[in-house]
Amino acid sequence: MNLPLLIKLENAAIGYDKREFFDSINLSIKQGEFWGIIGPNGGGKTTLLKTILGLIPPVSGKVHYREDEPLTFGYVPQREKFDHIFPISVSEFVAMGRYIRIPVGRGVKKEDWKIVMSCLERVEIPHLKDRPFRSLSGGEKQRSLLAHALAGEPDILILDEPTASMDIKGETAIMELLGRIKEKDKLTVLMVSHFLNTVARFADHVVVVDKDSGVFSAGIMEEVFSGETLSRIFGLDVTIEQVAGKMRIYAAVGGRDR
Amino acid sequence: MDISSFGEFIKSYFLWRDPMIVGAVSGAICGFLGVYVVLRRIVFVGAMLSQVSSFGVALAFYIGGFSAFSSLGSMIDPFAISLIMTALAALFFALKKDFFRISQEGAIGFGYLLASGAVVIIGNLITHEAHDIADILFGSAVVVDPKEVYIVPAVAFFSILIHCIFFKDFIFVSFDPETAQLFKYPVRILNTVLLLTVGIVIAVTTRALGALPVFGLTVLPPLTALFLTESLNRVFILSVLIGVLSAGLGYFFSFILSLPTGASITTCAALFFLIGICWREIKLLVLT
Repeated sequence: MNLPLLIKLENAAIGYDKREFFDSINLSIKQGEFWGIIGPNGGGKTTLLKTILGLIPPVSGKVHYREDEPLTFGYVPQREKFDHIFPISVSEFVAMGRYIRIPVGRGVKKEDWKIVMSCLERVEIPHLKDRPFRSLSGGEKQRSLLAHALAGEPDILILDEPTASMDIKGETAIMELLGRIKEKDKLTVLMVSHFLNTVARFADHVVVVDKDSGVFSAGIMEEVFSGETLSRIFGLDVTIEQVAGKMRIYAAVGGRDR
Repeated sequence: MDISSFGEFIKSYFLWRDPMIVGAVSGAICGFLGVYVVLRRIVFVGAMLSQVSSFGVALAFYIGGFSAFSSLGSMIDPFAISLIMTALAALFFALKKDFFRISQEGAIGFGYLLASGAVVIIGNLITHEAHDIADILFGSAVVVDPKEVYIVPAVAFFSILIHCIFFKDFIFVSFDPETAQLFKYPVRILNTVLLLTVGIVIAVTTRALGALPVFGLTVLPPLTALFLTESLNRVFILSVLIGVLSAGLGYFFSFILSLPTGASITTCAALFFLIGICWREIKLLVLT
């Protein structure tokens, strides 16, 4: 199926302060795709994400975006990053995700609040609208973050470790909710995660990055996700098996340190 | 305090009317802007800027004291010098906070200590206005300059106007600057405007009340308000009310008990904070 192209990195060298982490990247992201971005800590995942978002320019090469109308990004940051000294309610927090469509100097209007409420309903927490954001549990916070990203009516959802520090029940609930919203709204999703099995289960495309070993590999899951690549970047013996039609990733117990 | 002293206080309203107006407006605007200062964890920016403001005043007195500058002396307005220096310090902090490659607190500490040391040295060099400098530092002034009755409310009005227009934006860049940058908000400009309003208000109110009470009114009412409520809008409203009450009651007690005004205002603000803590603890106890 020929899906519309949203973002294209063309021979892009990415890095900071003219220091290249990767020298010639080509990556095409199309509408409706679910991309997982994996790699070890300090491997260059955040740099890649920021380059895609346009927050840092490529050292060389180009990043092209859809031409007919500007792309809108919905960003789901790590929930620990917020300072809990701020007494912000859940609805005020979700409204901030709407600010991408509200210019500087203009207040939040009635219509915006309606959209905020509908986003809270989509993530199944309308009853929490007046609760302080800082008082929520991990799972509730993650749902608020998702509503915050949806409030801007994005074309692309970007998630940074959405299931970090969550138990299996919370992780499954959030990922299934994300899957439902993605299908319904035909959203494109980019998700950075350390949970390889979660990425293997939900994503259809994957980017594997590690600047130290010089690995940058992007494409459909079955082509890119290999035991050999994962072993190389994580420095462990990693094997991939098919269980009930799904990929399962195993690290060797007492995995050999490479 | 007895009824007769309260009666005397009421009768002598012509003495305290102007300082009370200036104090109440200063308490309100410092309480409002202080919410940002506390939420952004830059509490000592208030102390640094009020100290820089004091340094500006002391410097103006010092330059005016030179016979070589005698003709210039009448043109050098301590208020203008203090305003310019405080605005420059706020600008520098907003734009170049990574300049020293040290933590934010470290840069604030540097600014505070440099200005404090300079004020003491200049205070030592000029003997005639030493009393005025002490007033500026600790807020012992019982009367205010008549023009401050207009300047302080005017500056407060314009600051509030700017904050009404950009309220959502200032909160956004303070709470989540990363997402604000992603949304193409002018994060640096908004931060600069926010800190400039803080700097200008601190310069103006320091001239009227003194460095100590201005620091106190910038920090203690917002802290108390944050203890008492979980709603951001209510934090701003409560902080303004506590700022006004602290300044008003502080001036009242200073008047009838012959206490230093600045210290009295600061102590009142601190007492409100203690009352806030007790209130919250009792409430938690009752709930459990």
